[in-house]
Amino acid sequence: MSELAILYDASKCTACRGCQVACKQWNDLSGDVTTNRGTYENPPDLSANTWLKIKFIEQGTYPDIRWLFGRRSCMHCTESACVDVCPTKALYHHEMGFVAYDKSKCSGCGYCVEACPFDVPRSSSGAVTGIRHANKCTLCQDRVTNEEKPACVKSCPTGALTFGERSDILAAAQARVNVLKAGNPKANIYGDTQLGGLHVLYVLEDSPEVYGLPGNPKVPIATTVWKDIVQPVGWGLAGIAVLGLGLNYIIAQRKIKIKSEGE
Amino acid sequence: MATSSAKSKERSHSALEGFFGHRPVPGEKVVQRYTKQERWLHWVTAVTWVILFITGLFFFVPQFGGGAVGGISGLFHRIAAVVVCGWAAVYFLRNPKSSIEGIKFAFKWGTADIKWAMAAPAYYFFGKEDKMPPQEHMNTGQKLWWLVVLACGSVMVITGALMWFFKEIITPGVFLWASTFHSIGMAALFTFAFIHVYLSVLHPKMKGIFWSMVDGTVPAHYAESHHKKWYDELMKHNKESGKGK
Repeated sequence: MSELAILYDASKCTACRGCQVACKQWNDLSGDVTTNRGTYENPPDLSANTWLKIKFIEQGTYPDIRWLFGRRSCMHCTESACVDVCPTKALYHHEMGFVAYDKSKCSGCGYCVEACPFDVPRSSSGAVTGIRHANKCTLCQDRVTNEEKPACVKSCPTGALTFGERSDILAAAQARVNVLKAGNPKANIYGDTQLGGLHVLYVLEDSPEVYGLPGNPKVPIATTVWKDIVQPVGWGLAGIAVLGLGLNYIIAQRKIKIKSEGE
Repeated sequence: MATSSAKSKERSHSALEGFFGHRPVPGEKVVQRYTKQERWLHWVTAVTWVILFITGLFFFVPQFGGGAVGGISGLFHRIAAVVVCGWAAVYFLRNPKSSIEGIKFAFKWGTADIKWAMAAPAYYFFGKEDKMPPQEHMNTGQKLWWLVVLACGSVMVITGALMWFFKEIITPGVFLWASTFHSIGMAALFTFAFIHVYLSVLHPKMKGIFWSMVDGTVPAHYAESHHKKWYDELMKHNKESGKGK
């Protein structure tokens, strides 16, 4: 099956936040109570109830100002740290490319919250018992597997969000960047190569860092060490111990029993 | 009825002995080895560690991940952790002097330990005793296990506490390293735990020693042959205090 992707074209975004509302509506997420922080950006951060938000980057002082808009949500990586650390496979790679999530399997360990290089998953409370559940964008798994667009894409009035096969989306992003480059040499694509290719691609008007995105996101080294070294070595160690003990049992049982019987 | 139940009791007892080895009977010459408090601490640790091990494996082995679904296993993991830490802390507070001495002993290593390590394979595989140096209350192997318990136990408590209580304070990097070291500590600890259980339950040279953690006593001949230094000191002490035989 071909892989799907969302394209967010920051140059077309007006920060109407229709996508934020559509996400909450479709996924039945309640609003977070927030306070006025002197910015249109609201809510201030992703939360267990907010899987998508538009980021406002306000630079300079009036009248010499620049407003950039970014999108904060799951990037649906190919090499995804959250899938690596998830012990119950509640987070997994869907054959359509995105990082799907089955909340009923979540153990509430919170490892994905810590491991994500984009700081996206959030878990509800439950610090004492450990029983809590992670939340994040599922790329509207229930919609896209039924040939519908994700809710955020469907709501977008300016065409900043589009959705389709990843190869088409990548071509469209490239074409758009080529157009933008005529007037803005800093225009670039984000997500084409990062972490094996993201399934949310961005057309940006400035470097990724300006948008608060890691230029070179990586699966955390501790996660790689844990999954690729500690786990296999742990098994090896336990296996050697059990084999050694079994060998000892066979030899000692014979040699020592015979000896004590002879006494 | 009465006789049959008595008989079945006898039979179940002998079945247990068949597996764990001979249990000293009243009248047999034994020496006191473990206090009641020590035995309780041992068994609380054993039970909680089994719970911690199994619920922990759900996170460590991808194939067992299903066990953690819903998060109840995490709750059991935390309860077991609190019980064992609390129990150990109370034990320490009730026996501060002997506890500190015991902890210090884990770090006392000398040439006798090297001799023991060189003679150990022949002893544990073939039962050759002649080169084994006389041992204290704990032999070198037990001391190594005790050191692993102390070292890895500390790692488990520290990294566990970081992930549980300081989650909101520490950076994601610290959290992930804590979980990685929690796994390393677990692998080391339970590799040694397998060896410990094997030696105390199954090894022919130690057969029957299991009961010392139940009754608190070991046969005098066992103490003399396995822990000569300790046994001699005990006898000397008993003679001096006038309790000895």
